[in-house]
Amino acid sequence: MDALTAALKVAASGLGAQSERLRVVSENLANAQSTGTTAGSDPYRRKTISFVSELDRATGSSTVEVNSIDRDPSDFPIEFQPGNEAADEKGYVKMPNVNVLIEMADMTEANRSYEANLQVVKQARDLISMTIDLMRNQ
Amino acid sequence: MEPVSLFDLATKQSEWLAVRQSAIAGNIANANTPGYTANDVEPFEKVLDRAVVSLQATQAGHLGGATNASFKVKPDEADGVIMPSKNTVVLEDQLMKAGEVRRSFELNTAIVKAFHSMMMMAVKS
Amino acid sequence: MIVGGINALQLKTGIGGGTDATTDLFQGGAAPVAGNSIGTSFAEMVTQAASKTVNTLQNAEQVSMQALKGDADTRQVVDAVMSAQQALQTAVAIRDKVVSAYLEVSRMGI
Repeated sequence: MDALTAALKVAASGLGAQSERLRVVSENLANAQSTGTTAGSDPYRRKTISFVSELDRATGSSTVEVNSIDRDPSDFPIEFQPGNEAADEKGYVKMPNVNVLIEMADMTEANRSYEANLQVVKQARDLISMTIDLMRNQ
Repeated sequence: MEPVSLFDLATKQSEWLAVRQSAIAGNIANANTPGYTANDVEPFEKVLDRAVVSLQATQAGHLGGATNASFKVKPDEADGVIMPSKNTVVLEDQLMKAGEVRRSFELNTAIVKAFHSMMMMAVKS
Repeated sequence: MIVGGINALQLKTGIGGGTDATTDLFQGGAAPVAGNSIGTSFAEMVTQAASKTVNTLQNAEQVSMQALKGDADTRQVVDAVMSAQQALQTAVAIRDKVVSAYLEVSRMGI
């Protein structure tokens, strides 16, 4: 595989990774208020995603893959909501450990990375096209 | 020593640019990978200096597509902020480098096209 | 390499060696030839045109190779290559005309 096609493959893997990241962020945001169903039970636990790079020996380029999707182990914040079905005997409810502001910032970053990868895809495609164009119109 | 003909030099540079493009693509794709260090190819002048040796070595490999072997891709010096995750990729720098690659590539193909058409013009009866 | 292929355009002139000012095609517009004999100045003109082409082409090749190595002004490269294309096109047109004129003359009855 020549270098430009390899670049295309790498950028495509970047697009895939960033979309996964966006999916995780949107799950977190959607479940930011999802408490448990029974008294004293745990709410939604925030998901985190981590990437790992894979070196392709033949081309020397590194694609990116999703390493794992884990759960954030931090503690659940407690709120006082006696009417909630998940409230314990004192009326406290465990809320998801999702910080909306952090998720929004993550989403912005993921978008930025996605756009950058997209630009690489376009450029690699254009460079390949330019090379083929050398043969045309002769 | 360097490639003697214009077309050979243009081919060499376009290969170098393609390798650089794939290094930049790898950097951008791995912008959020912990522990990843940004890569870049060695400068083109260095490639030309040892062009004689590697030109022979890659002749056989040309059709096999192993042309990347002659260009060394090494970690770039990190001159920006180092994140706690030890990732050294700065997206803006990478995008700027990508722009440079594009401009050089366009110039390269334009030169090749122009000289090719001049050659055709000269031999046409 | 490219320049070598253009050598076919160089006409060997046995006639003349006149010292007249010849038209310079590439200085924008043809000035009338103020020569002693039309034949001499024409041959010289063609020779000069051909050698000028070679120079322009060599310059274009040199500037382009510098650009490929990474350090040349884009505009300079474009200008050099365009001049070379113009020069070459003109030289080829002259060559074709000369060849067809020669053929025509050789076909004329004595």
